[in-house]
Amino acid sequence: MAATLCVKLLPKQGWLPLTQTVRHGSKSVTRHRRPMHILKQKLMAVTEYIPPPRVIPPGAYPYQRKRVQEDSPLTLIMKRHLKTVFEDSKMIAVVQNNASNADNMMVLKHRLHKHGIAVKFFPNQVVQSFLEGGLHANMAPLFIGPTVLFVSSEPKVKEMLSALRASQQMTLLGACIDDTLLSAQAVVSYSKLPSVSVVQGELVSGLTMLTSHTASMLQRHPAHLSALLQQYVKQRSSDGGSEGAPKAEEAA
Amino acid sequence: MAASGKATVVLKAVKKITVQFCPFESNVRSTREFLVMVGSEKARSTNINCEVIPLVKHDKSAPVVDITYLDGDKLVLKGANLTSSEMLNAFQSLCTDKDLQAKAAAAKK
Repeated sequence: MAATLCVKLLPKQGWLPLTQTVRHGSKSVTRHRRPMHILKQKLMAVTEYIPPPRVIPPGAYPYQRKRVQEDSPLTLIMKRHLKTVFEDSKMIAVVQNNASNADNMMVLKHRLHKHGIAVKFFPNQVVQSFLEGGLHANMAPLFIGPTVLFVSSEPKVKEMLSALRASQQMTLLGACIDDTLLSAQAVVSYSKLPSVSVVQGELVSGLTMLTSHTASMLQRHPAHLSALLQQYVKQRSSDGGSEGAPKAEEAA
Repeated sequence: MAASGKATVVLKAVKKITVQFCPFESNVRSTREFLVMVGSEKARSTNINCEVIPLVKHDKSAPVVDITYLDGDKLVLKGANLTSSEMLNAFQSLCTDKDLQAKAAAAKK
């Protein structure tokens, strides 16, 4: 076509035209991904191939078990230690320390050691995984952040509380005394309780008060007893009369 | 638990911080972390007169941080649905504002 055009317009042979119209149309087969026209894009999106769902025969793949992370040996040692601690000690207190110095810690440890209370540090993860299925599972939410365990075989709460009050940074979160979970306020009230023997003595005295009273009355002279009984009968009759009058007033 | 901007918490304009929480609840992590950041030695050294008082309760109440400033203002942070870094940010921004105000007042005098 170009040759015929040239023949018509350029009669003289060997004469090149001044302007040469060159048409470089865009190729369809390119080395890069050609951007599709939007209509073609839409068409391709609508007509995408959806394969049929592949049916896996039931026995083909093994059962996908949960990934149980095995404990490292150090964790096992710490768990064993924790187990002995929990079994031996009657009192376990959980305290949060906001970055106390080594000096304060040493002083606190010394004070507590005098009363036989040990200070233990355990990583929270180990403690939480240890407590998960066990007896003390409800203590697990206490172990968040920097926590210290105060452990002792005898529940010496007063001394522990006084030592904690002296150090500003430590906050008592809770305690497990004699397998009972106590909050901070419960620990304070526990410390104010009198000792077991005192409480038992009070209970016994309260129960036997009446019997001891009657015993002492019988031991006195019988005339005294008869006078008391007569007075009692008089009071009963007068009370009965006076009770009847107020009741009538209330009804009216 | 990223420290927001400066590593330490400056407590110069603060009179008292009361951190109240119930440790058996599940939403107290951020409040406890806030307490650790505020009660650390560095923070306390910026203002020795400032008191940091942790209160441990057992009444299923939401964790609350009550901050009283030297000029009488109060800031209440309810930590039930906040992260510790958000609480720190809010607290520090107010602290710096107060500091600037105090410095401006001192400069005027």
